[in-house]
Amino acid sequence: MEPVAASTFLTASFDSAATELDDFDALVRLHWPAVFRFTLASVRDRDAAETLTQDCFIHAWKARAGFRGSSAVKTWIMRIAVNLVRDHARNRRLRFWKRTTKEALEISAAGGRLQDGTISAEQRLLISEKVRAVWAASGSLPERQRTVFLLRFVEDMDLLDIAAATGLKEGTVKIHLFRALQSVRERLGEHK
Amino acid sequence: MTRHLSPAEISKWMAGERRRQSEDHLHECADCRGEISRLQETLSDFRASVREWSHRESAAAPLPVRRASGVLVASRLRWALIAAAMVMLAAIPIYRANRHQPKLESSVDDAVLLEEIDESVSRSVPAPMERLTPLVSEGSTAAGSQTQRKK
Repeated sequence: MEPVAASTFLTASFDSAATELDDFDALVRLHWPAVFRFTLASVRDRDAAETLTQDCFIHAWKARAGFRGSSAVKTWIMRIAVNLVRDHARNRRLRFWKRTTKEALEISAAGGRLQDGTISAEQRLLISEKVRAVWAASGSLPERQRTVFLLRFVEDMDLLDIAAATGLKEGTVKIHLFRALQSVRERLGEHK
Repeated sequence: MTRHLSPAEISKWMAGERRRQSEDHLHECADCRGEISRLQETLSDFRASVREWSHRESAAAPLPVRRASGVLVASRLRWALIAAAMVMLAAIPIYRANRHQPKLESSVDDAVLLEEIDESVSRSVPAPMERLTPLVSEGSTAAGSQTQRKK
């Protein structure tokens, strides 16, 4: 295979990103669910999540001329979402804590193996309790740990993309993730 | 076999800090592999629950603006409304001025009319005869003096 020059690769990726940004309708359709999911899991308020998601795409639209293709479009959009959530969380910290318990009950009732008809009622209860514990633990995490945790384990982003989306170094992302996992595992320990 | 991985080592491994020593141990130790597998399963259940919840919430309340063009339309609509409000605010003084101007004119007209009425009321003789008044008074004065002379 012939080696591809770095400049060629960068130009190609920039052109591809530019094309993706040109069709903004398609871009919104593609990334809206992930941005909404991340903001919803972060602020745990549907109305706020909707507003933040919409703001995120308005920011992206306004800033699209400045996008240079140094990261994937999704990572760039998630970075905007992360910043919006951070600002929101700083303003609404108290309300967030009040919602945590209520939403933990709602979220643990659906999804994944819980919808599998072959598992027993006892297993279903155990899974539900564990999911609830993770949900509660993630709600008690400091803002950066929670963001990194959600991007990794809900959005399934790799460490480099998380670093790009949060503006942190990869090593710092690992540290936040490690601490978040320690807290989650401690909470899960109560449900073993 | 070496000792089992500590909770911190398991968390580090899950966080992406995968040291050779831990990997070697995991190849040999089913207990530690099971521990990590259970944690991965729980996190996977959590992801599925969040996704399900997000999907449900998204479907329950259809977003007012879903498409980029819609976002922009909303943005443009907002600016159009702001512009319309500013035009309306700017138009208020003009409207008021226009509304008060006829009143002013009519009040000026009224004042002129009243002055004319007062003037005509205070006239001793009708306007067309006003020119003759000095002559009449002069005539009467002259006639009076002639009478006095006769006396």
